[in-house]
Amino acid sequence: MLTCDDYVSPGSLAEAFAAIDSYRGRYRIVAGATDTLPWAREGRAGDVHIPALIDVTKIPELRELSVDDKRVRMGAATPIQRFLDDPKLARALPCMPRCAVWFADDQIRAQATIGGNIINASPAADGTPCLIAHEAVVELASARGRRKMPLSDFVTGPNKTALADGELLMAIECDALPAHGGSFEKVGHRRSLVISLVCLAALLKLDARGRRIEDARLAIAGIGPRPVRLNDVEKFLCAGSLSADRLEQAADMPMSLVASRTRQEYRRDVVRGFMLRGLINAAKRAGADTSVLTGNLEAAYS
Amino acid sequence: MLDFIRDDLNLTGNKEGCGAGECGTCSVFVNGVLMKSCLLPVAKAQGATIETVEALAKTGELSVLQKAFHKAGASQCGYCIPGMVMAATAALRANPFVDREEIKERLGGNICRCTGYQKIFDAVELARDIQNGSLPATALMETDTEDAVLGKSVRRIDTPSKVSGRLKYAGDMTMPGMLHVQVLRSPHAYARIVSIDAAAAEAMEGVHGVITSADVPGEDGFGVFVNDQPVMARGKVRYVGEAVAAVAAEDLATAKRALAAIKVVYEPLPAVYDPDEAMRPGAPILHDYAPDNVTKHIPIRVGDVEKGFAESDLVVEENYSTQPIEHAYLEPEAGLAYVDHDGVVTIVSPDQNVTHHRHMLARIIAKPISKVRFIMSPVGGGFGGKEDMIYQGMLALLAMKTQRPVRLVFTREESIISTAKRHPSRTVLRMGLMRDGRIRAVHMKMICDGGAYGLSTEGVMRKAAILAAGPYVVPNVRIDTLGIYTNNTPSGAFRSFGALQTAFATESHLDICAERLGLDPFQIRRINAMRDGAITHTKARLGSVSLTRALDALEKASGWEAGASVSRGNTRADLGGDGVRPPCALGARFAGVHKQEAAE
Repeated sequence: MLTCDDYVSPGSLAEAFAAIDSYRGRYRIVAGATDTLPWAREGRAGDVHIPALIDVTKIPELRELSVDDKRVRMGAATPIQRFLDDPKLARALPCMPRCAVWFADDQIRAQATIGGNIINASPAADGTPCLIAHEAVVELASARGRRKMPLSDFVTGPNKTALADGELLMAIECDALPAHGGSFEKVGHRRSLVISLVCLAALLKLDARGRRIEDARLAIAGIGPRPVRLNDVEKFLCAGSLSADRLEQAADMPMSLVASRTRQEYRRDVVRGFMLRGLINAAKRAGADTSVLTGNLEAAYS
Repeated sequence: MLDFIRDDLNLTGNKEGCGAGECGTCSVFVNGVLMKSCLLPVAKAQGATIETVEALAKTGELSVLQKAFHKAGASQCGYCIPGMVMAATAALRANPFVDREEIKERLGGNICRCTGYQKIFDAVELARDIQNGSLPATALMETDTEDAVLGKSVRRIDTPSKVSGRLKYAGDMTMPGMLHVQVLRSPHAYARIVSIDAAAAEAMEGVHGVITSADVPGEDGFGVFVNDQPVMARGKVRYVGEAVAAVAAEDLATAKRALAAIKVVYEPLPAVYDPDEAMRPGAPILHDYAPDNVTKHIPIRVGDVEKGFAESDLVVEENYSTQPIEHAYLEPEAGLAYVDHDGVVTIVSPDQNVTHHRHMLARIIAKPISKVRFIMSPVGGGFGGKEDMIYQGMLALLAMKTQRPVRLVFTREESIISTAKRHPSRTVLRMGLMRDGRIRAVHMKMICDGGAYGLSTEGVMRKAAILAAGPYVVPNVRIDTLGIYTNNTPSGAFRSFGALQTAFATESHLDICAERLGLDPFQIRRINAMRDGAITHTKARLGSVSLTRALDALEKASGWEAGASVSRGNTRADLGGDGVRPPCALGARFAGVHKQEAAE
């Protein structure tokens, strides 16, 4: 059971920093809190008492959202469900709706936040690989000022981030990619309420004829201590025309990256399958000329 | 928020199934958005409008959806149903034209253990169609209105209480002056209890009673077949999670603090975790009465198996194993006990065997049977897992010691760590058959891990053995089933009660043998099937046997393509098409996109 002496819901950043200052060393930041309460149970942290819980979801700036055709800026307390329900956001982040629909369940998504998903820094976090593929940058704030850093640098390992003491994750900024086709592939023990064993975000932009990849963004999670961007594969995909053969070769490339603590052989199989399925789905949604993808490949992986 | 809603507002339609966001029994609307109240710090309710399941039928009149659950037979144990009704209400609000795939998706955060979900989905579709006017409201009425019940579709009389959240399970019940119970459990698989010092706990303010095995006035032992289990560990603990002491206090937090103040000194003993190792000479012995660690051995002998194998054209031997399985009923164990005005010790709990437990408890607390009463509260799923008297004894002792009503509600973690599982099994099966598929001989030996106490092991071994050779005519049979004591979590009753383990071996084996003989798997079963008037391997005469009819129905329903499994390979026509569930997918709600993807 989780207990606290004070539950503080600051209505502004200034109030939040004042609370952080007055409870220094004795507080925990919560947003959706969907991971915090199950953490304080038998078998994990057990009964936990924290002097102050500081709830950041009432701070207006953490709930702001701005979207145009170039950039997206979302407050850290944006609920995951918003990626499904907000058409503007879904258009700008083409793999996020598919990520969101596999994320926990409708009820938890309404409460859980994108900032919490990032800060938890689970090696299997679903949102992080999507945002890394969108070249996301995190904005951090403290009473002393603000700074930005790439999301891929911010997550440093399992449950570890570069967040400094007294800092808050304010917002995430990333590329809007409305012309890209997006896909998100995930496998776990069941379909709802499940932690990914492996998940993959794929974004592809094709030329006007749908026969050549102009831009590829791939990121994968669950295969090592933190999500990884597949830069080499992306370069390879853009180096020639779109073909079944090229996709098959690309799918082989990240198999060697599997460095999880368990089930490496299984994950290698999954990675190859997800690469093919993710790339085919993204290519189709990006308007690929379907004649370049052979029937067999589609039947096997779409 | 869940604790606040249940304990402070007494709105117990909101159930606690897991407390960790996994099951959906506690779903509430927060400003119109469905959320799981066990994941919400209650302070988040500040300024928000919270609606619980009780809000759906405020006037006493059930909502259309609740009535549809009644009509469709969508509730069984009922424990998940308030949450299901809430999630379905949210789905219909989000999309009044929601289709079945999207219903499944939107109800994905709610787990049901009884229904298999289909009737729940039927209910949501029925409510949708009535709300949209495509079906008349009369579709909610009972179809068969005659008095006759057999062969008719009748609505369950308890459904209105379940869909509205009005039904009180044991954990929902309170009494004036009620104390809260917590149980101290063993961290060791096998250890001698050197000492228990509860003085500090007893002295704490708000603590009204601490009990250990020293508080048992009568014969301390219970079980379904052998009374080998004390109410709380006596002298030794034999598995991780075994009850060692229990506390009754004014509130849960105090009871938990008191547990932490009980000092138990253990002397760990060498433990045994594998039934084969437990049978070897020199293995740690769990119970003095069973120096070989055998809880029960059931042998069955018919004819001469060696002669049968010698006559056979084909002899196949294989090994099979099954794992322990948790029942995972949505309602964790809970119970309430009090001593009534006549001095009758009364236990209210979701207990699947009240009469036997009443007799056992009378002996344990040294009272005449007239002074012991068991009341069976609604069982929020049992599946055999609530047949054992593992906590009712502690409740009785605490009610007697404190002379106050006492209540214990298990957490999900506590339920999983301390209650019985399905027996894990290892089976060696040897079968001899003639070339035409007739079985000549079956030799099966199954070793089951019974865990630290007997519970239902004897009965499980008995039924496993009786049904081991299947509903097949076999002239020569040799079966041995053995339940073995180990320091693992006790195994107990679970749906099918042992038949699953042996049937898994026998039915898998028949498929393998059919393949070896080039026979259709249905055919090999028909060749050997018992028919009307058959005598079973344990000499029971069966007046009628429905096996061949069941096989016919199964063959037809599955679209089975006749022939030996080896003869078809990739050309099999029965692995797709109508009636075969495609692999799971999500995204039914991307309406336009979804149609496009389906077309792809």
